[in-house]
Amino acid sequence: MTRPSENSPGAAPDTGTALATTSPAATPSTTTPPAPPAPGRRTWLDTTAPGRALQVLGRAVATVWSNPKARAGLVILGVFVLMALLAPWLAPYDPHDDSFGRNEPGSAAHWLGTTGNGEDVLSQVIYGSRISLLVGLVAGGLSTVVAVVIGLSWGYLRGWGNDVVNFLVNLFLVMPGLPLMIIIAAYLQNGGLPMIILVVVITGWAWGARVLRSQTQSLRSRDFVTAAMFSGESAPRIIFREILPNMTSMIAGSFFGAATAAILSESGLSFLGLGDMATVSWGSMIFWAQNSMAILTGQWVLLFAPGLCIALLATAMTLVNFGVDGLSNPRLREGSGR
Amino acid sequence: MRYVLRRLGLLVLTLWAAVTLNFVIPRLMPGSPTDAAIAKLAQNGPVTPAVQAAIEAQLGVPGGSWWNQYVDYLGNVLTLDFGVSYTFFPQQVSGLVAGALPWTLIMVGLVTVLAFVLGTLIGVGAAWRRGTWVDSLPTVGGSFLSAFPYFWTALLIVFFLGYVAGWFPTSGAYSATATPNLSWQFLGDALYHAALPAATILLTSLGGWILGMRNAMINTLGEDYVTFAEANGLRGRTVAVRYAARNAILPNLTGFGMALGGVVGGSLLVEQVFAYPGVGYLLYNAVTNQDFPLMQALFLMITVSVLVANFLVDILYGILDPRTRR
Amino acid sequence: MSLLEIQDLSVVYEPRGAAPTLAVKDVSLTLEQGEFVGLVGESGSGKSTLGFAVTRLHKPPARIAAGRIVFDGVDVAQLDAEELRVQRRGGFAMVLQSGMNALNPVRTVGNHFTDVFAAHGHVPTAARRRRATELLDKVQLPSTVLDRYPGELSGGMRQRVSIALALSLEPRLMVFDEPTTALDVLVQHAVMDTIRELQAAEGFTAVLISHDLGVVLESAQRVVVMHDGEVVEDGAARQVFEAPAHPYTQMLLSHYADPRAEVVELPGLERRAPAVTEPGAAPASAPAAGTVPAAGTPATGRRAARDAIVVDHVSKVYPPPRRGEQPVTAVDDVSFRLEPGAAMALVGQSGSGKSTIAKMVTGVERPTSGTVTFGDLQVDRLRRHQLKRLHTDVQMVFQDPYSALNPLHTVEYTLTRPVENYTGLRGEAARERVLGLLEKVGLTPVEQFAAKLPHQLSGGQRQRVVIARALASDPQVLIADEPVSMLDVSLRAGVLALLEELRAETGVSLLYITHDLLSARVITDRIMVLHHGRVVESGGTAQVLRFPEDEYTTRLLDAIPQPARRFGGVA
Repeated sequence: MTRPSENSPGAAPDTGTALATTSPAATPSTTTPPAPPAPGRRTWLDTTAPGRALQVLGRAVATVWSNPKARAGLVILGVFVLMALLAPWLAPYDPHDDSFGRNEPGSAAHWLGTTGNGEDVLSQVIYGSRISLLVGLVAGGLSTVVAVVIGLSWGYLRGWGNDVVNFLVNLFLVMPGLPLMIIIAAYLQNGGLPMIILVVVITGWAWGARVLRSQTQSLRSRDFVTAAMFSGESAPRIIFREILPNMTSMIAGSFFGAATAAILSESGLSFLGLGDMATVSWGSMIFWAQNSMAILTGQWVLLFAPGLCIALLATAMTLVNFGVDGLSNPRLREGSGR
Repeated sequence: MRYVLRRLGLLVLTLWAAVTLNFVIPRLMPGSPTDAAIAKLAQNGPVTPAVQAAIEAQLGVPGGSWWNQYVDYLGNVLTLDFGVSYTFFPQQVSGLVAGALPWTLIMVGLVTVLAFVLGTLIGVGAAWRRGTWVDSLPTVGGSFLSAFPYFWTALLIVFFLGYVAGWFPTSGAYSATATPNLSWQFLGDALYHAALPAATILLTSLGGWILGMRNAMINTLGEDYVTFAEANGLRGRTVAVRYAARNAILPNLTGFGMALGGVVGGSLLVEQVFAYPGVGYLLYNAVTNQDFPLMQALFLMITVSVLVANFLVDILYGILDPRTRR
Repeated sequence: MSLLEIQDLSVVYEPRGAAPTLAVKDVSLTLEQGEFVGLVGESGSGKSTLGFAVTRLHKPPARIAAGRIVFDGVDVAQLDAEELRVQRRGGFAMVLQSGMNALNPVRTVGNHFTDVFAAHGHVPTAARRRRATELLDKVQLPSTVLDRYPGELSGGMRQRVSIALALSLEPRLMVFDEPTTALDVLVQHAVMDTIRELQAAEGFTAVLISHDLGVVLESAQRVVVMHDGEVVEDGAARQVFEAPAHPYTQMLLSHYADPRAEVVELPGLERRAPAVTEPGAAPASAPAAGTVPAAGTPATGRRAARDAIVVDHVSKVYPPPRRGEQPVTAVDDVSFRLEPGAAMALVGQSGSGKSTIAKMVTGVERPTSGTVTFGDLQVDRLRRHQLKRLHTDVQMVFQDPYSALNPLHTVEYTLTRPVENYTGLRGEAARERVLGLLEKVGLTPVEQFAAKLPHQLSGGQRQRVVIARALASDPQVLIADEPVSMLDVSLRAGVLALLEELRAETGVSLLYITHDLLSARVITDRIMVLHHGRVVESGGTAQVLRFPEDEYTTRLLDAIPQPARRFGGVA
């Protein structure tokens, strides 16, 4: 029996939808006729699981980096990370050292002046980055883990349990998060950083879970998931090896979203005096500044500097998310479409 | 109609869940909020058995039966009896809440709706003129502004426009000399005082609505019905408004409902900065004074308001989307 | 003067971050007033790109790189937005492929008409409803449709509404881009009839863009064939049918045949009536031990015992889609037996219950009543974790090769998983078997294909991988759900021939689910025709298709495009 040649290209730009949208499958670049595999691909394929995970990560960073907005975000983020890591070397003084003059304006010895307690503002700003980044990383990470676990199982499983989870997630979604945090934090006064992180995670996982659920549902209806069942794969393996890797960008997106929210929440709680007042964070700096009537004494730098840092860090995270969005939604890629 | 009923049922269920959460939180906390509260209250004078019972109904009887407490608690909530405040002893909590709620509902409510409408319009323009400055300016500016912590925007505004420029009052909802009444003079005074907090909420929340609408509209612009409308030679305005934007508003409304809680939370901090006598300011006072009954009642009221607002958004969605009517 | 003159038109795709591709290369074409032209090509031929460029509906990253599009003396490519908009009335109109989504879901059909009338002001306000009713009448829809929302109409009705809307522009040129592709077989046929009648009555110039040469030959006066962005054939329909000049056209034509003929021939496949293979007396050919050493038979014991699938009075009722509605009976009292080694077709439109039967046979869904048994397995009672035992022997080939492969896994990974799960082979032995499977489905050189990711494969190659995966456990039964319906016509015969070959080689039995009677005719021996979940006719494939007894079978047969009938000859 003869077989007709199959060397004609796959779906090149042809259909109306391809014109209007550029769906990933129909983009000309991805459907070049079968050629010998690219060398880069090959090595990627042949590596073991951890190696592959690294490769995926590398590819993701490269994709994010290719977006100008996200690149700016990564740069700002990098600066803050360095600041937090190198704080002991960068900061001129110990942030708790209150041996200086009170409410001094900026000078060569104290670039940003001193606080009402006589501490160096610049040193506090530098050390403050540690708390914000830590909260962002840990609370954002934990929220994402909760979101992934609930989102995936909620999207994959069916039955009455689904309705219950649906209701719970919607409840946490519409529930005003900050008041809830304030209440819990008020009861757990002086719970320190772990308390703040716990509170942020409790109120912050629902959004990611919802997004990941709908993505799971749409992936679940794809034939390759059914096919994996026919290949004799177990449910956990289908979830973690077939579905999960296809959601990398969404998970990254919800991580940065949750981290941004966590940073803003921590600063809000600290600003209300509900955080760990013994540690120096940007939010608590503003709390003390307001307590000492910094505005009236003209010490506006005290308010301005830590607030700007919070805003910059949150902006950086938002900007990084632009690149992550581009991963999952080809229509949002700059310059394509309309 | 079935849609409205289903939403209504969901509202009742969510309200019940929120009320229950409010009941459970103090009872799950380590230590005993009840003992702390009674100790606190004792500083103001002897605690009568009636006051003690009220506190226990709200914060829990140490070692008591949850079920009985729950029934009592539900009864109290339904009759809006939240006990006495001990920051403002011996005022009733319900009276304090009733005094603060209107300021927040009107100021925050109006500004939020205004911000949503404005943000949606700008988002439509940005998506339609994709790739031009009409797109990039609000997109970049919006995402930067929405990364500002609410309280920080508030501090900047109060510092520059209040103290430095002196154009606007820096605190309160009306002048110390005015008494609340329905005269034009008082309304003007109230608006003048609301200007800065309102501007803060508007600026900080606007970016989110712009981005949401822009992204939703970019998706609808890729839909076949937009291409077909263009093929039929409809005017650009008609295509943009009645075809693309009209459909994009639906997911955006859903997003509005979900983000509402965040905006309300943020405006609580704004109220604190401006000493605006709404629920946010009251909540701050309650928290700093460990006034648990007041705190619980305020949390409940805020949550109920957000849930009801969400219900209204759902109803609006139902009106705008014919597919829900079937 | 000609109505439309396309001169040396090139359209290029310039996606950001990827190399530009020339989708339309130097195309010149002249259309006269009142012509019915068919524009045929397979995916990637540039036919739709051309259609969109001609009506100036192309969007970035597509760009007209060179050439002129002169419509009625005016170069369309040069018009500014407002001139173009005005030109659309009495000029060129377009009916999109997915009529499903071409209507605004939040506006009524009546509003759609009002929008068009208001945009061009050619129908006075008072006369609008009457005019809309007239237009709907032309596409055989009642005026009550005016107050409906698109979501309340069926796919066929929506496509008719789009046609009426395009017609309301009183166009001189109408481009139909795959107008019936998303529709059901019988509906497709009816909509095409309407388009033909309209064109004859209204006298506009029609361009019918289609991947299906059969459909085009049946309707068009003139046929233009595109391949790789270029026009390779342009001539009168009869001439193209009887004496195609270009080898590509000849190849396309060779894939059409009449399933009712005594001898049906497709490239690589041939069936004579009565069927050569009798059910039950099926291929005694030995397992493929000698042919593909690496993929040799693993468990010798299992091969000997061969089981039939017995479906006994099975029904499937789904709960009502919305409260207050009737439950949906997808499958209604169906019984059949798939003998070991037999090939049986299950045909019907979408919604006929054929895919639901496949799900019940593979244990994915459970019947509401009745039983499904395979050997000693009570399939309808299997729990989820027991399915693996069934799937050792009963495997599935999916419809859409683009969704059936995980885009992140290589071919090797995709095939290794079932090999490890079902045969217990590991490491080098498993790899050997994977390569053997690739060899078996004709993807050579095997090492190269093993390393590929799905997006590096064409549709036909993907489908071969899907088939290889189904063969990994060395199953006794293959369930193939429309395995070729998403493929280009020229690739279909190859995949069908592969299935046929595998059957002869391994003795696997085949349940072939399709709406396409021609493919059923060439690879199956028995057939069951399903309509609304019920079996309306069954028997030997050749017998049923050549001498159908049920009216529904006849209608399905009549819906197949049949150029031979129009021109009265045999290809």
